[in-house]
Amino acid sequence: MNFFIKGGLLAALLVAWQLLWIGGLPSYVLSPLQIATDFFTALGSQELYVHAGTSLLRALPGFVVGSALGVALGLAAGVSRRIDQTFSPVIFLTYPVPKIVMLPLFMLWFGIGDLSKILIIALACFYPTFINAYYGAKATPRILVWSGLNMGAGGWRIVLGVVVPSALPLVFAGLRVALALSFIVMFATEMINSQSGLGHLIQVAESSLRFDLMYVSLVTIAILGYAGDRLLRAARHRVLRWQEAAQ
Amino acid sequence: MRLLRPLALIAVVLAAWEIASRSGLWNPLLFPPLAKIAYELGMFLVQPDRLMEAWVSLYRALGGFALAAVAGVLLGMLMGRSSLIADLLDPLFSGTYAVPKLALFPIFIFVFGIGSLSKVALIFLECLYPIVIVTYHGARDVNRALLWSAQNMGASRAAILRRVVIPATAPFIFAGYRVALPVAMIVVVITEMISSADGLGYVVIYSLSSLRTDRMLAVVIVISLLGLALDRALVFLRNRLVYWEKLDTYYV
Repeated sequence: MNFFIKGGLLAALLVAWQLLWIGGLPSYVLSPLQIATDFFTALGSQELYVHAGTSLLRALPGFVVGSALGVALGLAAGVSRRIDQTFSPVIFLTYPVPKIVMLPLFMLWFGIGDLSKILIIALACFYPTFINAYYGAKATPRILVWSGLNMGAGGWRIVLGVVVPSALPLVFAGLRVALALSFIVMFATEMINSQSGLGHLIQVAESSLRFDLMYVSLVTIAILGYAGDRLLRAARHRVLRWQEAAQ
Repeated sequence: MRLLRPLALIAVVLAAWEIASRSGLWNPLLFPPLAKIAYELGMFLVQPDRLMEAWVSLYRALGGFALAAVAGVLLGMLMGRSSLIADLLDPLFSGTYAVPKLALFPIFIFVFGIGSLSKVALIFLECLYPIVIVTYHGARDVNRALLWSAQNMGASRAAILRRVVIPATAPFIFAGYRVALPVAMIVVVITEMISSADGLGYVVIYSLSSLRTDRMLAVVIVISLLGLALDRALVFLRNRLVYWEKLDTYYV
């Protein structure tokens, strides 16, 4: 039933858009049919794959590096008071700072190539994963830790067997935010300064008034973002099956 | 005493910076001395045209955020209290959540022009998502026992909304605002870097291309401080308005 509501809404939106377009819209708004045709034509050419591949090769390493560091340090800060007191105040203080302003600085230090982009994406992904892992580890029920200790588990076994599993739901929430952020920042860096990638493609399309190309890169980035989110959800579902069963 | 360690960390970073800038191993453009950055920062604060740029960025960010704050809470409340509206809108929001809305910016430029309007529209769109989603979850999960007791005591629908639903959702609304406000700052800087002739993002890119890295870093510091100050102001407001529930974060 729910499925039909969703599908019906989407179809109604598309039909309304198409009808509006027939009725006459400005030239920069293409019709859904037109966009679909352009998109499938572009799928036949090599160019789109090259740009999408370059973009992914920037977003994914940045996401992996940034969130691995964020999760590791966040869990460590949630467990160890010393690490907490050293790093957490600085990280929480700089959290509301827009990390993208560091891009020009990174371009100076690491060049205008891929490295500065990957690092800025990693920086952006670090914060949400750190904060979520930190709260996840902090919120471990004491009673579980005590039972673990009572049953003779040592420090590392407590961390791996009790703290990490109980922090996982929040860790995944952080990863989800970080993945969406990594696509935003990737797109931003490519629009600001790049010779390749989807962000660059959309800039070129805009300045040469190639509306078809603009919508093609828009659709591609939307599909990539959506697919990434779905994959992460599927992974979460697999890893956290015990938690869903418990609810 | 608790401040000692983080302050030491900051001092180490600053000292490393100064050493890097004086060592001569790198071009001074890469690590301008702290004194020069501080001087540019001071210049920023006394020059009216610089403050004007900060004001331009700020009103774009706050304009988009304010629109999203109103529209997002309305939408989230409607979705939370009506399952029909939730069924219609939830797939729309959760389906496009992970799509970078920034990709729409070129189209927004054609629709709204290259001035402030396209930027404000994009900020509105990016801020709308966190606010709607968090408000929706808050309004949906209002404690049923409270709703039932209010109904039992003969409260009208309007009274229930005003006295039960809104207070119960308020902490969630502010949680959404707190996610959205930094997003507004990020988006305003990005859009000004991509295409603009004013605003702080433009000054950053302009200083970089004229190789005034000290000035660029000063503007980066100004942007960071603005982001920080806005967050503090929001937390202050939240603690005034939602005085009955403490913010459950450790460092607020």
